[in-house]
Amino acid sequence: MSRIKITMDVNGRRHELAVEPWELLVDVLRDTLGLTGTKKGCGEGECGACTVNMDGRAVLSCLTLAVHADGKEIMTIEGLGKRTKLHPLQEAFVNEAAIQCGFCSPGMIMAAHALLKENPDPTEEVVRKKIANNLCRCTGYERPVKAILKAARMIKEGHHE
Amino acid sequence: MATGTIPMKDTIRRSNMNDRFRPGEYYRPQSLGEATDILGKLGKGARVIAGGTDLLVTRPQGVTSLLDVSRLALDYISRDKDSFHIGAATRVREIENAPEFSSEPYRALGEAAGSLATATIRNMATLGGNLCNASPAADLPLPCIALDASVKIAGPGGTRKLSLADFYKGVNETVLEDDELLVEVQIPFAKEKAGTSFQKLRHHQTSVDIAIVNVATRIICINERCEVVKIVLGAVAPTPIRAKNAEALLKGKIMGDELLSKAAEAAAGESRPIDDLRASANYRKKMVKVLVERALRTSIRRCETCQE
Repeated sequence: MSRIKITMDVNGRRHELAVEPWELLVDVLRDTLGLTGTKKGCGEGECGACTVNMDGRAVLSCLTLAVHADGKEIMTIEGLGKRTKLHPLQEAFVNEAAIQCGFCSPGMIMAAHALLKENPDPTEEVVRKKIANNLCRCTGYERPVKAILKAARMIKEGHHE
Repeated sequence: MATGTIPMKDTIRRSNMNDRFRPGEYYRPQSLGEATDILGKLGKGARVIAGGTDLLVTRPQGVTSLLDVSRLALDYISRDKDSFHIGAATRVREIENAPEFSSEPYRALGEAAGSLATATIRNMATLGGNLCNASPAADLPLPCIALDASVKIAGPGGTRKLSLADFYKGVNETVLEDDELLVEVQIPFAKEKAGTSFQKLRHHQTSVDIAIVNVATRIICINERCEVVKIVLGAVAPTPIRAKNAEALLKGKIMGDELLSKAAEAAAGESRPIDDLRASANYRKKMVKVLVERALRTSIRRCETCQE
């Protein structure tokens, strides 16, 4: 036994893949599928740069085996918004200057995306707690938190996703 | 195309050269019987994987196969006539959000679940993983022991049940045999009103880091006297430990400031911490006293029948 056949839905597209038992979701997303928006930072669950949504929940793709994603729905930063129209989270991150070097942004936005799906009207404290696994060395978190709260308002006011 | 494109694949492959975590086989059994059969055949080289948040961080050498228990229908919180049954593959998030464990007499369990690592990790990590990884600093064993939890274990000859307090052998070591699997945790219903508390000290109280010291307590008073008291300490011995001397000081007594302080002091005396990168043994002992006193006071405040 070596490679294992899996099927996963990534950003609405079905992929049939053969993966090694030890292969990580982050590596399959980046290297096999070419979705390099998801970043590989620490590789041990501390930095959160690899955060994606699996069946709607924020998970760390560096601590998820690709085989574990078999039959699941994965959403990465590439699945958010359209080429011509940003998702409110992306728009708010840009407008609030919540992005500096940008390395943490895809992970942080995906953590926020899972949060807003579950809780469309979070308090600032909840936002801070839910992105506690997303380290940012540039912004000091103030602007990302503002951006997430702004995106929540935008979504509520009907900016289509 | 941007100039100076970095050949990412090569970079990653090179950085992984020292990584020996390369299990060649992967099993996803459909039943407990199948799972224990496979574990029995594979022996030492097999590792059980659920959420992956411990195994994929430590990435131990010599693992030849993985047994995925995340789809064995072991994610549930149910109840029968006398206890809660929590499946071993239940995500920590589900325990954190369960209304049953967000109020007394089980509140310490919800608190411990809500303070384990981060929300993102709690979406992945499981109760069984936290128990079986047997880290001395694990959070969930403490309230479970304080709540008199027992564990159901499946093996080739069927299932066995034992007290969670008897589950641990040492650092990262449990009584589980190679062909055994933790199936569920059972928490008996509390017959009397109780007050519980979970306290955790870590570097920056919001960080991902594990506990420097963690404590769970449970108290039941009848006619103002302490009838039941459990004090469980973490990160200060190879396994979670009960502070039995401290418990003995409190049992049968009317709670008061001086007594609580004495009991906390006794608990510190019973702890056997080590120096490590997080804290010195000496500091840990001092913090056991602080956290035990805090946990006891919180438990008493939360227990309607106890009086401070």
